[in-house]
Amino acid sequence: MKNSKYIILGCLLILGSTSCKKWLDVNTDPSNPTSSTALVQNRLPWLQHFYSYTAGVTNFRTACQAGVYYSNSASGNAFSTTWIANTGNLTSYQTWFVEVASNLNDMYTTAQAKGAYSYMATADVFSAMGYMEMLDLYGEMPYTQATTSGIPSPAYDNGKTIYNGCMAKLNEAISLFGKTQGPAAPALSAGDMWNNGDVNKWIKLCYGLKARYMLKLSKKSDLFNTDSILYCLSKGPQSIADNVVQPGYNNSTVTDYLETDPVVTNGNFDYAGYGSNQRISQYYYNLLTNMRGAGVTDPRMTKIVPSYMTNIKLDGSGKVASSTWTRSIGTDQYGPSTRLVKGGATSIAAATYATANTNLVYTIADATELANFVAAQTTSGRTFTVNGNKVTVTYPAGSIYINSTNYLYAGDTTYVNLRSSAIATSGIPAQGQTDVSWYPSAAAFNAGAVASTGSFQIRPVSDEEILTYHEMNFIKAEVYMRKGDVANAYTAYLAGIQAHLDMMQAKLTSWKGAGYTATNPDMAPMDQSAITAYMSSNAVCQGAGALTMTDIMLQKYVAMGCSVENFNDMRRFNFSVGNVGGFGVVYPGYNRSPLFGGSALYTGASQTDPRYWPRRWALPTTLEINYNLTNALAINPHAADPNIWSMPVWWDCATDAEYNGYLSK
Amino acid sequence: MRKWKLFNVIMFAMLGMITNNLMAQTVPIGGTVLSDDSIPLAGVTVRVSGTSRATATDNKGHFTISANEGAILEFSFIGFTPQKIKAAAGMEVHLAKGESGQMTDVVVTAMGIKKERKALGYSVSDLSASELMKNKNTNVVNSLAGKVPGVNITQSSGSAGAGASITIRGGNSTSDSRQNQPLFVIDGVIYDNSTSVTGNSGTDGLTRSNTSYSNRIMDVNPEDIESLSVLKGAAAAALYGSRAADGVVIITTKKGAEGTVKVNVNSKVSTSWANKLPEAQTEFGNGLYSSNGVFNSTTPTPGATVPVFNSWGQKITSADTVYDNIGSFFQHGRVYDNNVNVSGGSKTGSFYLSASNFDQTGIVPNTDYDKTTFRFNGEQRYGRLTLNANVAYSIANTTRTLTTAGLYGGGGNGVMGAVYSFPQVFNMKNYMNPDGTQSRKFAGILPLENDIDNPYWIIHKDNLTSQTKRFTGGINGSFKIASWWDVIGRVGYDQYNTNDYTYIAPGSAVIPLYQNGRLSKDFLGYTYITTTVMTNFHKTFGDFDTHLMLGTTSENTETPYQNLWGYNFITGSTISFSNIATTNQFLRDGTTKKRLVGAYGEVGISYKDLVYITATGRNDWSSTLPLDNRSYFYPSVSGSFVFTELLPHNTLLSFGKLRGSWAQVGKDANPYATLTYVNPPISIGSFTGIGNQYTAGNPLLKPEIQNSWEVGGELRFLNGRIGVDYTYYHSQTHNQIAQPRLSNASGYILNSINSGSVTNKGMEIAITGKAISRKDFGWDATLNFSYNRGRLGSFLPGVAYFYPTDAQFGPIKAASIPNGGYFLGMTGTRFLRQADAKGNEIPNAPYQVDPTTGLYKLNTNNPILGNREPSFIAGFNNTFRYKKFLLSFLIDFRKGGDVFNGTEQVLVTNGLSKRTTLNDRQSVTVTGVNSSTGAAFTQTYNANQTYAINGANFDGKYMIQQYWQNYAANAPNFITSVNWVKLRSLALTYDFTSMLGSQKVIKGISATAIGSNLFTWTNYKGMDPEVSAAGGTGGSGSTGIDYLGVPAVASFTFGINVTF
Repeated sequence: MKNSKYIILGCLLILGSTSCKKWLDVNTDPSNPTSSTALVQNRLPWLQHFYSYTAGVTNFRTACQAGVYYSNSASGNAFSTTWIANTGNLTSYQTWFVEVASNLNDMYTTAQAKGAYSYMATADVFSAMGYMEMLDLYGEMPYTQATTSGIPSPAYDNGKTIYNGCMAKLNEAISLFGKTQGPAAPALSAGDMWNNGDVNKWIKLCYGLKARYMLKLSKKSDLFNTDSILYCLSKGPQSIADNVVQPGYNNSTVTDYLETDPVVTNGNFDYAGYGSNQRISQYYYNLLTNMRGAGVTDPRMTKIVPSYMTNIKLDGSGKVASSTWTRSIGTDQYGPSTRLVKGGATSIAAATYATANTNLVYTIADATELANFVAAQTTSGRTFTVNGNKVTVTYPAGSIYINSTNYLYAGDTTYVNLRSSAIATSGIPAQGQTDVSWYPSAAAFNAGAVASTGSFQIRPVSDEEILTYHEMNFIKAEVYMRKGDVANAYTAYLAGIQAHLDMMQAKLTSWKGAGYTATNPDMAPMDQSAITAYMSSNAVCQGAGALTMTDIMLQKYVAMGCSVENFNDMRRFNFSVGNVGGFGVVYPGYNRSPLFGGSALYTGASQTDPRYWPRRWALPTTLEINYNLTNALAINPHAADPNIWSMPVWWDCATDAEYNGYLSK
Repeated sequence: MRKWKLFNVIMFAMLGMITNNLMAQTVPIGGTVLSDDSIPLAGVTVRVSGTSRATATDNKGHFTISANEGAILEFSFIGFTPQKIKAAAGMEVHLAKGESGQMTDVVVTAMGIKKERKALGYSVSDLSASELMKNKNTNVVNSLAGKVPGVNITQSSGSAGAGASITIRGGNSTSDSRQNQPLFVIDGVIYDNSTSVTGNSGTDGLTRSNTSYSNRIMDVNPEDIESLSVLKGAAAAALYGSRAADGVVIITTKKGAEGTVKVNVNSKVSTSWANKLPEAQTEFGNGLYSSNGVFNSTTPTPGATVPVFNSWGQKITSADTVYDNIGSFFQHGRVYDNNVNVSGGSKTGSFYLSASNFDQTGIVPNTDYDKTTFRFNGEQRYGRLTLNANVAYSIANTTRTLTTAGLYGGGGNGVMGAVYSFPQVFNMKNYMNPDGTQSRKFAGILPLENDIDNPYWIIHKDNLTSQTKRFTGGINGSFKIASWWDVIGRVGYDQYNTNDYTYIAPGSAVIPLYQNGRLSKDFLGYTYITTTVMTNFHKTFGDFDTHLMLGTTSENTETPYQNLWGYNFITGSTISFSNIATTNQFLRDGTTKKRLVGAYGEVGISYKDLVYITATGRNDWSSTLPLDNRSYFYPSVSGSFVFTELLPHNTLLSFGKLRGSWAQVGKDANPYATLTYVNPPISIGSFTGIGNQYTAGNPLLKPEIQNSWEVGGELRFLNGRIGVDYTYYHSQTHNQIAQPRLSNASGYILNSINSGSVTNKGMEIAITGKAISRKDFGWDATLNFSYNRGRLGSFLPGVAYFYPTDAQFGPIKAASIPNGGYFLGMTGTRFLRQADAKGNEIPNAPYQVDPTTGLYKLNTNNPILGNREPSFIAGFNNTFRYKKFLLSFLIDFRKGGDVFNGTEQVLVTNGLSKRTTLNDRQSVTVTGVNSSTGAAFTQTYNANQTYAINGANFDGKYMIQQYWQNYAANAPNFITSVNWVKLRSLALTYDFTSMLGSQKVIKGISATAIGSNLFTWTNYKGMDPEVSAAGGTGGSGSTGIDYLGVPAVASFTFGINVTF
């Protein structure tokens, strides 16, 4: 007994004095692969997904700025209506740098070690696309030192350096795509969600991107080169088969590690179609229903502008027995904006589903308003009673209605929100994968009462457009127009519209095949006769001689929709000022809203002052300004000023001198 | 084969030594020390003559010490004449007051080595059990507040089970992931005191600011503590290695005493209440005016939830009902605290056995904290071999609530944020419909995900619990090979499992994905095994006394974690993973490992009782650093000089000593910080994607090094009736290892770096006095005073400020400011003042008014707004004894240190603050200079007018609202340099023992009444200024930030203590 204690003590001594080198080698986490062991064919799908995600949030928020959408979310409304933008500038930055850019160096070097030239090239392409988008948004940011090991606090570069860097990356990518991969390299198709490993499609993408980026220089007489753009276009996408898209799915509820959005859905959807806050703007709506004042409805209108069910009659089991599809109208935010002026900038109300007959009592003091309200109830065929200035309206069970006693909001069901549902976002477990319509509640779903059919580009299962043939045509049309070659411009203009119609039709056809149209007629293909009628109507310019830059850019605006390129184009044409080239007002009707409140951000007093307009985003305070202030102020002493939002970025200036003037103290 | 041979040789050699030395027999001797007026003396040093073996008496004057039969024991105590008496079991020693002499005072130092205080070259503070128990707190850290100079305690909130943080001589590290808290060592074994957020924000959404967390020292039963030593400087702590740079708290638990078995039972009951609540205005109802003057109080503005829950509405009339939503929300908390312990011992062994239960109900309904502990300490002596075993087991259960935020990524809100913003015209108590769904004011129109959860819904329907079961144990063997040589071996084990349960009820205002309920279960394990072998040599050569200690230690830490979560319960009433489709269930697990080997030594020499010099050195090999940098050595040297030995004997200055030390301590990294890892894979279609995590590793990390020095002295006057202890210290930490949040353009949110330095300097003074010492009446007082000045040195180029992530609230951020700025700084937004020709602001000049907004312009470059570090803190601790009454009270003082009243800031933002009723909300005036022209600017906004500003029209009522939003953005409106005087505790004890007569059953009985935090005199207008909004945040932490917290509590406790 005693001896055993001494033996234990002795063993402890031995154990205690052991300092084995191996014993200490435990500092590699056995539960996680490291950045150097991850495979390139797994990196590429990650990059493609998260680039699409970062592009999705950028598309949505810049589309609000460009007037495509009305939004009453805090940041969306600030971008679309009041222009009191002080948020909404964070996610693009973070998702680009943290989710995408941090992988580029690892991907490039791992690919290089295996002779996987195509994968190296894709790293270059993502670098170019991402940093160019950052330049579009923020103007100046860390670039040459960004995501460099050992530089946790990178210094900034100006817009010109970033621009030239991105173009150089594309050139390198083109040459790398031209090389045959080494024998140890994984096939590009193993990790390529976009082009299925088709190197030629990637090369076309590179040239297409170069054309897009060279177009940005249109204000710069010394750098803008129409022939170079045309050359790139000739090597870029030649048909809709060359379109590059990130497909969206609705087959998983898994959410991502950083922003907790679904990982399989379309990036545009995650921001524009996820919640109840977005609606079609009247500006966009008018272009779809009355282009060129022709009074012709675009065949794409019913695919882009959502509808909802009215006059719902329920059967004995509470299911919708009959109903009428009613199309949304647009929300006016740049014109008189009567509805918003009455109720406030964010006041468009969301619809509710009535599970039982519901009476709402409205008190309307103003006699005219009262009379108008009563008239509207009569028109709609609802039951109501009037008692003095109180109106009691009955919404029958099954109605999609506004559950508010404020009469101002009672008609807001007509502003159908752009919401779609995914299995990861609906909160209605029974809603299957092929039903992406929006139901306000589980009861509405059980009844089959659809409150929104959604919008073409922003459903969970929509393709996110990375680079398309129709955009190439619109670029070509603009370039020829600038060269004065109206005939070629006209050809490209028509081809652009047609290419967009073709792309949509192909997608709508595939949706029909997959069964999405069972609950959602707006996902069905367009009527061919409507397309033909539209193309020959006055909504489309019917002769090269009549073609204007406005025609080209507004058709491009319609086709691009949820895309940063509309905001880029509008900056190049100074929005609706009409002082670029001889092209006149290119975006007529676009202006500050009557609800404009962003006077600290957009300090120009008149439209001709560049600083009257939104020109960039402020760097995100909580991600960058707080942590890298000294570097940010070193490149631009105004980086933290409230009116940085109206400072043109490098390519938005005619000369370097103009740009440097903004950056000086 | 060869290895075995060597092993055998060692074993035989050892066994040989052991048997050779079994002859001389030591036995435990117990006894009592009393003053000559028969009052038990606590803290008397008892030492076996001619050896270094020593102990101290407990608060009953009892001691036990091992000594050879017939050995001479030396008794010494400040202010008493030392005595030497032959050892005898059950001896009673009377010490006489008065003459100075050899005043020996023993303290526990690094590695558990007891040393005479006069030999120390650095400052050590120690507290006895009786001192700790005066204001017993179940979190022993809280009991230190005000009692030890240089120690700063911050309670994270008043909620049940909430933790507290302790920093000694300022924080050394700016990073979130480094907690700046001292190492805790219990009976020789390092005891984990982390405040862990189990799981992570990405999987189960928990962050530091959305609920309360316990610090793990709370698992200790404070009643088990015999004594506590605080080793403040690096020199004192250097032998403990890596983590000792932040100081060490050494806890020794109770042991049995020789004699009959003793049973002690004590029970306490206490009640607690919020000591101060924020006040809300009751004049205006809910709603908001839009820029064109349209008022809206009935319809939520879609997308922006705030307006209807804001209180910018119309005047409340007598027809309206006003609800005291804040005042009626909190309840009285209560605690039942029961302890029992049994102890005893024989000549060769002793034992101590205890059990306790602490059952607390919080002031927030449906929250509680319940802790049960068991401990066994045993000691057995076999001749020269002494074996000790300590085992403790505890179970702690907390039911907590979401406080200020919903789960990360899940939407929703917390209880306190909603309580402090709910309009007074809404009845918050009405939270549930008859059908069991949440009663929502704007049901139907406001999508559930945009609504605000009613606080009562959260506390009744959601369920957040945390359970920690902990087992700690240690076995110590010490063997005296010769009178001058001993060997000590120790194995320590610390193991706990924390299981957290987070349930969000169906129908909560969270993102649609979770609206049918969400459940997560988190498991966090912690296993720490350490082995230590030390050997001590001690020899005297004439007037020179020398000692040498050599030792080695190994530490192995494993932290497994597991997270299960899922959402969407198929059948509403069953809350389990079995009731969730497998596609909606997720799993994560892993293990973090860390290992460390240290070798250390100490050599000391002293001359007479005059001069003492000690040097230490330690080399660590840590698994967490890159191979090339994994080994690092750091030395220390300290000395003391008892100059009164050279002076002629006098009673005025009875003792005087100068001391000084210099030390270096190395600190390793957190595990896995050298590499960058990837995220779990994602599947899209047929493809699988993998990408980097948002934390960057750094393969070039070096150890962090702290250099520090301190000087000080101790003086005792009038035979020790008055004592003064003074220390000045300076420390600088270089090559800081941190994982800060930096520019996202680095590609990462967090980056592992080695950069920057932190400097702390300050002083500590402790004055002790026995003002009155008579038979029936005594007054002892201790006054301590300290300050620290923490500064951040150089940091990464280009980085203006350093922010801990979890401490950014409203317009302010906790920040450390590089290049000599405050370590506990605060930055944020404030109004811009008039600028000079160069564009620089002129101090105290008028504010700039922006003509484009008609309101004050803000300085958005995050100017420095304050320093959260107090100018000084002090504690005044008094004990009065009158016959059988014992009255003690502790007053603590603080001067300076900025506190941000974020709760008031939120009240202003949402229109609930009383400040916003200025002029009956009919007008506000903006006065300053026009920011573009520089001309004087004055503008009054009246409620019933319209104003054209920069080409647009704005309604006056809207402008008044905007004025207050502008006001709320100016952080200085909510920052106060806070002074306080707190009556931290007041305790009255009466000892009934003498009334028991001559019966033999009950040996002692006493009753105690304790009040805690009864009064606070302060210039701070908000809730309790002793706050920290995100408990356990590392780096500069969240101290000084009062943001929507559970209010601090005051309490009254009554207890009875019986000894059998």
